[in-house]
Amino acid sequence: MTATGLDWTAVAVPSTLPDVVDDPISYERVIMNPGSTWDYFPGHYDPEYAREHGQPTIFVNTMHVAGFVDRVATQWAGPYGRVVRRKLILAASIYAGDTITARRSITAKRRDGDRWLIEMHVDVVNQNGEVCCPADVTLDVSKAVRTTRR
Amino acid sequence: MGHRAEPVGRRIVSPSARARVALSHEFAFGTYEDGLKMVGYRSEPRVAATAVSGARIQMFAATVRDPNPGYWDVEFAAETWGGLIAPPAMLMGWLIPPPWEPTGRPSARSIAIRIPLPGTSLVNASNEAEFFDPIREGDRLTVVEEVVSISPEKTTRLGAGHFVETLETYHRGDGSLVATNQNTLFRFTPAERA
Repeated sequence: MTATGLDWTAVAVPSTLPDVVDDPISYERVIMNPGSTWDYFPGHYDPEYAREHGQPTIFVNTMHVAGFVDRVATQWAGPYGRVVRRKLILAASIYAGDTITARRSITAKRRDGDRWLIEMHVDVVNQNGEVCCPADVTLDVSKAVRTTRR
Repeated sequence: MGHRAEPVGRRIVSPSARARVALSHEFAFGTYEDGLKMVGYRSEPRVAATAVSGARIQMFAATVRDPNPGYWDVEFAAETWGGLIAPPAMLMGWLIPPPWEPTGRPSARSIAIRIPLPGTSLVNASNEAEFFDPIREGDRLTVVEEVVSISPEKTTRLGAGHFVETLETYHRGDGSLVATNQNTLFRFTPAERA
């Protein structure tokens, strides 16, 4: 594994990061989530149930959306960064058949005791341009910064 | 079992209809006033049925297409974090019981659906989680759940219902705090379709 640290002084605030386009949300991926999280709410695996509850088809759960947000945050920070806080609003559901994109920006950086922290805003947008989930993430990049300074 | 009393011409109950019946048994039903009596309630600690496992970590990482070596590379994870780490987003999942258990005892379900309220469906509205020490493979988590608030009836495009705010606090076996999770979900009666 190649070490990928983070140059603290080079982090521009505010700054916009490249978008991350996810693989399409296939039916397989929607039901893989219950396979790992055991969240067998029928809206996440049964299209008939979803339609009877006013949804066009099955939709991903909160953990999936959060997992995508965490992924695009730590892909920027590198493997020595980690999410220590995440706030998200589930404004619209993400359905099987959708394709989502993460629009990311760095909104702040700050020291907290001996920690180096980054604030990132992530909008999870579907193929119609609808913001399904605005999220704010705090990344602890202390290990990444120390790796670079070593 | 013997004769099935299906009315002639009626289709056999579909798997999803069975799922609906099962689900309706898991919800607690009552009035808004019944629900309000649970505000401030704090549950006894509930222990996860199983420990955090690499297989579930990697299944989740595959779902969200996350190549983070902390989830996949045992050597890197051990050197960097003291073991494979759980994706933070899996937090709520570690306390969901398996869909079937050999003991046959009723599974402990999330407090949010045990609040007596009208409404046969739910959808999550917002979530704020904070993570302290990383959750690692082998950890067995304990959760304490609190009911923070229940809104008066509100109507959204999905239907009429109540917003239920809960706070979960997670510890690992050695007593250390690993995460807190504030969640708001919408418990509602689906609007009639046009």
